[in-house]
Amino acid sequence: MFAQIASGAGMTVVITGASLLIGALLGLPLVAARRSAWSPLRALATGYIDIVRAIPPITWLFLIYFGLPQYALRLDSVSASIVGFSVIASAYMAETYRSGLLSIPRGQWEAATALGLKFLPKARYVITPQAFKVTLPAVAAYAISLLKDSALASTIGVHEITYQAGLASRATHQGLLAFSIAGLLYIAMSVPLAVVARRVDRVLRRKLEVA
Amino acid sequence: MELATERTVSPPTLGGVKVLGLHKSYGKHAVLHDVNLEMTEGEVVSIIGPSGAGKSTFLRCLNYLEVPTAGTITIGDSTVDAGARRPDRACLDRLRRVTGMVFQNFNLFPHLTVRENITLPQMKVLGRSRDEANAVADSLLNRVGLAAKSEQHPARLSGGQQQRIAIARALALSPKVMLFDEPTSALDPELGLEVLAVMRDLADEGMTMIVVTHEMHFARDVSDRVMVMADGRVLELGPSEQVMTAPTHERTKKFLRAVLDR
Amino acid sequence: MTFVDQWISWLPALTPGLGVSLTLTGLCLLFGMPLGLVLALMLEGPVKMLRAAALIVVEVGRGAPALVLLYLLYFGLPEGGVTLSAFATGVISLSWTTGAYASELFRSGLAAVPAGQREAALTSGLRGWSGFRYIILPQAVRISTPPLASLAVTIFQTSSLAFVIAVPELMSKAYALGSITFEYLSVFALTSVLYGSITLLALAFVRLAEQRLSRHL
Repeated sequence: MFAQIASGAGMTVVITGASLLIGALLGLPLVAARRSAWSPLRALATGYIDIVRAIPPITWLFLIYFGLPQYALRLDSVSASIVGFSVIASAYMAETYRSGLLSIPRGQWEAATALGLKFLPKARYVITPQAFKVTLPAVAAYAISLLKDSALASTIGVHEITYQAGLASRATHQGLLAFSIAGLLYIAMSVPLAVVARRVDRVLRRKLEVA
Repeated sequence: MELATERTVSPPTLGGVKVLGLHKSYGKHAVLHDVNLEMTEGEVVSIIGPSGAGKSTFLRCLNYLEVPTAGTITIGDSTVDAGARRPDRACLDRLRRVTGMVFQNFNLFPHLTVRENITLPQMKVLGRSRDEANAVADSLLNRVGLAAKSEQHPARLSGGQQQRIAIARALALSPKVMLFDEPTSALDPELGLEVLAVMRDLADEGMTMIVVTHEMHFARDVSDRVMVMADGRVLELGPSEQVMTAPTHERTKKFLRAVLDR
Repeated sequence: MTFVDQWISWLPALTPGLGVSLTLTGLCLLFGMPLGLVLALMLEGPVKMLRAAALIVVEVGRGAPALVLLYLLYFGLPEGGVTLSAFATGVISLSWTTGAYASELFRSGLAAVPAGQREAALTSGLRGWSGFRYIILPQAVRISTPPLASLAVTIFQTSSLAFVIAVPELMSKAYALGSITFEYLSVFALTSVLYGSITLLALAFVRLAEQRLSRHL
């Protein structure tokens, strides 16, 4: 039974990883728009982020998987869940980036500006290295929560951990065991993420203090 | 308020303070070396010295916010022997009962109104009724000139007002000795003055006070004696006038020059 | 504007589901929040056994997906000889999730009370339980309130998972309606509007309350 349930882990990782990557990339223009000086763009980005996060993930998945085919956009369940989670991740990642930027004291922007740095070098050499330190643990935390959310993909038939646990439980009538294994698998998979985040965080902090 | 007398070690006059051989170290690093202080009731002692001298640590040892490594502390008729591994709970309670503390950053309870800050400890610690506690609170608020603020929350008040309330809160438990830990250091000079005025009144009324301070005028004019500390040791301890104008220790002269000649 | 007419005609089919979602959320908060506080106190407390027990409840509650917990209890409880309705199972499972997350928020609230408050409580003679009860806890709860309120909103969204164990909440009703009308896009769009508007309203309310609360601190 363990082998069957663990066989879903690959799909869980694919969905989580792909959505996180796409979400992380989409989050960049989104946070730029969110902090734009042009207020319509800012309102648009803020609206997108708030609305995306206000709708439960399962509703997003159903909207995409069952709803879109009406307009001939038929996605298989794996693509549908990656699209759905990417949309959700983009909103959360944008907020994560934003809080990283907000964590940098105003004085840093002002000092960089006073030194005559243009926007790009300012962002590249002064702001990003500092924001990175704050953002990385938050990204890892979000990755863990996305990992757990990916369990929802089972509801549209993606063969990941929870789906396999469901199959196993129906076949053996040992639901307690099957879903305990599934739960422990998720916990086990999130541990490395948490550890890596903590270690990277520590290394980065040390580097910054030395520099 | 009842104070049981179980252990009495050559008591100073009731309400006095007697600290013998106080040591405090963090691992190998000693922050207090053999500090001694005897005070009679009604006396005011200021503790001055450079930062890192151990002034606050010494004060915080007196009510066991910091646990001293060795020495005995007697306040009123309560004695705590720091040599003991774990001090007797009842002794600690008595020690904290007879001391009132005023902190540098006030530490008023932000979720309570000014009045509740003063009444809650009375009701919970001394078992006073709400009416009794309120009566005490009103008279103390009058005394520190803040009767009008009794229903406000601390965050609405200036730092000087908050500190005066903190003094009232401590006084409400009728302590024998008041401990002040740099009470004006977090305040603008002007606001510091109103706090110092309250402290001066308190001294005039005969309260026994130990004041860690950077206010040299207060040390000289209000306190009876001044204790100078540096590097965890007492450099000198004597009548204020003498210590402030004719210090004997070279380190004290240097410190006083630095703070007075600016 | 046909789709508006369509939506209006669908609302009676969905609102009972929304009622169930809100009831489910309310019950989970009612049980989950006190559970979170108790777990936090056990984790911060001196008794090793209690600490270990609470740690397991919290780590599994936060570490495993809420969906898996839901299945775990739905299939597991009957195997253990306990037969409950799907709704009751949903309440228990989501209360577990709520309690686990809330306990972390209560703990960080406790940690955020400045050390000076503990000292001031001690020097005011308020030690042990009375200091904790009257000085530390109220401040910790106040600090934890905004994140707890956000958690409450998240739990409303999470209640949608009860769909998978056939609790007749909003998502179930929407799915049923979709399978009758085959208008999935429109049905789930309406469902999104319902979830989204309630969530955004609740968040706006939380933010407002937060501003009012923070005035004293």
